[in-house]
Amino acid sequence: MTMDRTSASDEWLEQALRADAREHAAAYLADDGFTARVLAGLPQPALLPAWRRPVVALFWLVVASAAAVALPGWFDEAFRSFAALVAGHRFGLVDVAVILTVLGAATCSALVYAANAE
Amino acid sequence: MPSPAVSDAQLIARVLVNDDRHAFGELVRRHQSAVRVTLRKLAGGNHALADDLAQETFLLAYRNLRSFRQEAKFSTWLYRIAYNAFLADARKMKELPLPDAADTDDLDSAEDVDATPVARSAALSVDLARAMAVLSDAERAAIVQCYHNDLSHEEAAYVLGCPVGTVKTHILRGKQKLKARLAAWGPEAQA
Repeated sequence: MTMDRTSASDEWLEQALRADAREHAAAYLADDGFTARVLAGLPQPALLPAWRRPVVALFWLVVASAAAVALPGWFDEAFRSFAALVAGHRFGLVDVAVILTVLGAATCSALVYAANAE
Repeated sequence: MPSPAVSDAQLIARVLVNDDRHAFGELVRRHQSAVRVTLRKLAGGNHALADDLAQETFLLAYRNLRSFRQEAKFSTWLYRIAYNAFLADARKMKELPLPDAADTDDLDSAEDVDATPVARSAALSVDLARAMAVLSDAERAAIVQCYHNDLSHEEAAYVLGCPVGTVKTHILRGKQKLKARLAAWGPEAQA
């Protein structure tokens, strides 16, 4: 068979390649600062990834709260109108406080969850 | 520093989840030698170029680590990146350190070498390295991956990004060229 004849006549080359491969496998290049150079070339790590998301959420919560304090009448009216639109009746101050408390607790839970997820 | 018992997969997970630079450093330390030696073979012994490409290989590996699906060994994936980096550089430079005419004419030096097996083996190794330099990039890469990195044809096909049949063809053609270049070392010439 041609293939067998070729293989037999190539045996010396096969041996030479195998010997070269053994040398190659045995060759170990010392690090000599290579790893340090690679690490120095890595992109800078993203800043504050662990707490960026909850802080941003907290920022907007503070902004919304500040706006609510600064413009109490407008927010009160807007919230009552929205609640009336959804529920079909007007809410008292106590109802509003309860709903705001529930919303606040939900927001805090979401912030804690986001922080843990990061 | 992570203990040697930590697997590549665990280190990769640490890099992905926590952007753990120490874990990535450990991966580099583990694989730098194999990648650099392979690139030196591909680059025809140009050590400076090989080390630059090796550095680029690890930076690319870091940037694309999320795309590593573990369908191949991490080292095989690195070889693939290294080969692509080598090819990109070769295309950019449009010139590789090929031996000049004087070098190639000098390959049939088998009978000039001392008869001791060690001396003959060393001389054959030198001639083989020079003969490898005249192969095409694809032929040299296929031989390096299958012989020197001991990859299967399937793994080499993954690294080189071509069908298995093409890998076999590259190896066959490469060996034919090597055989012609190193004819002085063959049994016919020695007889």
